[in-house]
Amino acid sequence: MGQPSDTRHIEGSQGALSVPDGTLQPGQVLQSRYRILGIIGLGGMGAVYQARDLHFPNVTRLCAVKEMINMAQDQKLREQTIRNFEREAEILATLNHPAIPQIYDYFSFGDRAYLVLEFIQGRDLEALLNSTEGFLPTDQIRIWGIEICEVLAYLHNHQPEPIVFRDMKPSNVMIDHHRRVRLIDFGIAKMFQVGQAGTMIGTEGYSPPEQYKGIASPAADIYALGATLHHMLTKRDPRLEPPFSFDQRAIREYNSNVPEAFAAVVMRSLSYDPEQRYASADAMKQSLEASGTTPTVVADAPRAATNAAPVSTPVVSPPPPASSSTRAPADPSTGTPLSSTTPIWAFLSEDAIRSTPIVVDDTVYVGSYDNNLWALDVKDGSLRWKFATEGGIGASPIYNNGTVYIGSSDQRMYAIDARMGRRRWSHKTEGKIFTKPAVSVGTLYFGSDDGKLYALKSTMSSAREAWVYSLMVPIRSSPSVEGDCIFFGSDGGEFVCLELSGEMKWRFQTRRRIMSTPLVTERIVYVGSDDWYLYALDIEQGYPIWRYRTRGAVISSPVFADGKIFFGSADGLIYAVDALSGRDVWKYEVGRPVTSSPAIYHEAVYIGAADGAVYALHTKTGDLLWRFQSQGSILSSPCVVNDVVYIGSDDRNLYALQA
Amino acid sequence: MDFIRRLFGLQSSETPHSSPPPAPEEIEPDSIKETQPLAQPELPVVHTRRLTPPKPYSSPNRRVKFGTASDIGGRGNNEDAALSLISNTEVTGDPPPIGIFMVADGMGGHQNGEFASSITVRTVAQAVIREIVIPQLEERDMNSADQKTIPEVLAEAMSAANTAVQLEVPGGGTTATCAVVRDDLAYIAHVGDSRAYLIVDGNLELITRDHLLVRRLQELGQLTAQEADVHPQRNVLYRAIGQSDLLEVDAATRRLPPSSRLLLCSDGLWGVIGDEKISEIVARYPDPQEACDELIAAANADNGPDNITVVLVQMPD
Repeated sequence: MGQPSDTRHIEGSQGALSVPDGTLQPGQVLQSRYRILGIIGLGGMGAVYQARDLHFPNVTRLCAVKEMINMAQDQKLREQTIRNFEREAEILATLNHPAIPQIYDYFSFGDRAYLVLEFIQGRDLEALLNSTEGFLPTDQIRIWGIEICEVLAYLHNHQPEPIVFRDMKPSNVMIDHHRRVRLIDFGIAKMFQVGQAGTMIGTEGYSPPEQYKGIASPAADIYALGATLHHMLTKRDPRLEPPFSFDQRAIREYNSNVPEAFAAVVMRSLSYDPEQRYASADAMKQSLEASGTTPTVVADAPRAATNAAPVSTPVVSPPPPASSSTRAPADPSTGTPLSSTTPIWAFLSEDAIRSTPIVVDDTVYVGSYDNNLWALDVKDGSLRWKFATEGGIGASPIYNNGTVYIGSSDQRMYAIDARMGRRRWSHKTEGKIFTKPAVSVGTLYFGSDDGKLYALKSTMSSAREAWVYSLMVPIRSSPSVEGDCIFFGSDGGEFVCLELSGEMKWRFQTRRRIMSTPLVTERIVYVGSDDWYLYALDIEQGYPIWRYRTRGAVISSPVFADGKIFFGSADGLIYAVDALSGRDVWKYEVGRPVTSSPAIYHEAVYIGAADGAVYALHTKTGDLLWRFQSQGSILSSPCVVNDVVYIGSDDRNLYALQA
Repeated sequence: MDFIRRLFGLQSSETPHSSPPPAPEEIEPDSIKETQPLAQPELPVVHTRRLTPPKPYSSPNRRVKFGTASDIGGRGNNEDAALSLISNTEVTGDPPPIGIFMVADGMGGHQNGEFASSITVRTVAQAVIREIVIPQLEERDMNSADQKTIPEVLAEAMSAANTAVQLEVPGGGTTATCAVVRDDLAYIAHVGDSRAYLIVDGNLELITRDHLLVRRLQELGQLTAQEADVHPQRNVLYRAIGQSDLLEVDAATRRLPPSSRLLLCSDGLWGVIGDEKISEIVARYPDPQEACDELIAAANADNGPDNITVVLVQMPD
């Protein structure tokens, strides 16, 4: 051990697939004493067998027989190989520790050498880990850690030379029937086949960085024990992560059962610099002993790896009424309004506000289910005017050339003078209107629950239908106009690209309803579907470039910033993905559906959620900047202008929040 | 050692659990199946579908071209594998051109390296042809959620190659750098230390990340670039096809500007002649095949010790 041996094979399951010639058969007896019962495994240099010791004919005494077949052609290499094997036997023979398996015998004949070892019944930590749902009890892991420290301390204090185990990892630690730790596989530890030309493979994960410089010291075992404990606690296999990236996986982010002190001990043992680790296994043992708390018996389900970090924030008092027409948020005394931002003002309408506000000059416009389109002063939320329709307004307004356009569930599209709040015209459809219109070159485009997409030629005083495109199923996905094309989805799951003339250019079929508003950027169209996917489609032909699967309906409309696409899902997460590849950048866990659409302002993403909160997250990291709690679900989407976030809530308020 | 574990697993009096717990069941949106044969897209009432007019084929350089070369270099056998394929069609519907380009650098004793790289290249190419090229030729509806996307096909194909190498070439492994080009988008899947470069206006940009241990140690400040260059384990990969049940594949997507080039190569090229020389040679030879031949010649002239493989994709002007 502690020395390169030639018994190394590439680890993995492949060795067991073919049994080479010359393997001992069950029933064969070695040295007139060890009857082979079967093969446990095959390595590059031979096999390991389970055998029965015939010197005890009346009882079944099992042992493990490790075989080394010397296939080296070169005489020097042959001798070296034998020396290594003998050395393992000799070292094992001198060791006397309850956690180290006993060696019973060593013999060789011809090209073969054999070690007979204590057969340990039990299971190794890797198997235990893999067969456990959720996490193993934290305190059990800590106790095993202490026991491993004890045996490492024994090895490291070996005279005349310290022994470095060199291959500490879960599969080399057995838990026997007394739930005690046993180390196995001495002497095979070796990192790579050095000296081979060309590219090689190393499956690592538990070894310290300095081992690649050829340094093997007791500090290497301490690092590897830290890596083993980290794997046990987080269930994140370091062999599947970039080498030496433990510091990027804080233990408590994965397993909140782990006490801070225990996590700190593990992380210290994982320092890159050996000097920063524990000076000895004894020192680490003492820290582990000190880090215990009440044993955790119940294993928790693993938590999703997200950046979720719900913060507790100070309670704020409701905003003072800014003017006579601006009222405090609905019933602020009930519940526990948690917030880290104070509204600049709040305007209370008479029903839920799910419409997304717009700001033009110094006026904010928003629709409410109280039937009104409200025009408010951006400074204090005071009323400029209101315009009453004959049905609730769930749709969002747009502004163009002095006119605000808004659809209502009274089935009409309205054009309203932005300054005075007077109707210029209205246009009747056969269904409720929940879409936000798009306007381009004097034409207004919007969908209706009557299954039609309307193109209205609009003037100051009138509107006429230029064309109508019928899909027969309600259209609640608001159209986007980009270049010469209109993009929108339908309740039939169909996504359509029309030319401005109303002719279909292409279509794409998703599996469920589309409510999301498409986003067009860099020649890609992005849209969410209730089939749980966000799609990125080629703008010319509509074929998918990528799609991103969430675990809930994507009603939220994607936005683009800094090469990333941001959106929410009914699965309770807010996502940032790379715009060209669709790969994860970050996720933020809200826990309640996010159907609101994000808005980007400077370096922040603003978005509402069904938990009633507005979230401000950092665009680069997904870190929470602040959170504002309203008293109702938020289905409205934010509009951010001049450092102020405007957003409606089912608590009937429109809030103005400092960005 | 894994087999010792198996011994104890087998002999344990406890119920053996050798496999990991089953993946959590995913609950599909319940009505997906009901809505599955979705109302055939209802025909627009007023409008009829219009055929897209064919694109003008004015310039002979409108098409994607490629060159490819592989050489045994300073080794006894060539463990590299490569594949290149372009489907250019002039048929109704005007399907976009699709290209598949791949380099794999095998490793392992005997002929294992060759087998591993070959199996990987074949497996991935077959999957892309089966899942993307053939459906397009069959005029199947590509604009449907039932159609896999190229990144999905590539991820599955690399995983299938991983399984195939584990089964068929125990002890072997390979790098794999694959680019599928459709229209002007390159979808890249990558494992190991072969590389993909994007060359625009003579500027060489490395798209892939080498999964080399020394690179990782450099990132951590544990090794200097000079130390890494002479490190005895400078060729050791921490990720390769055929080495673990769970393979993580890097993916990237890039727009390829007009006249740009996409270069895939094994470390027998970049490890020997370096970025500057690669850039210079590619700029000097407008014909991608000539450029490939020259790249190989340059690596051999510098006594490259390893197999050398290059694929160079040339985008139209």
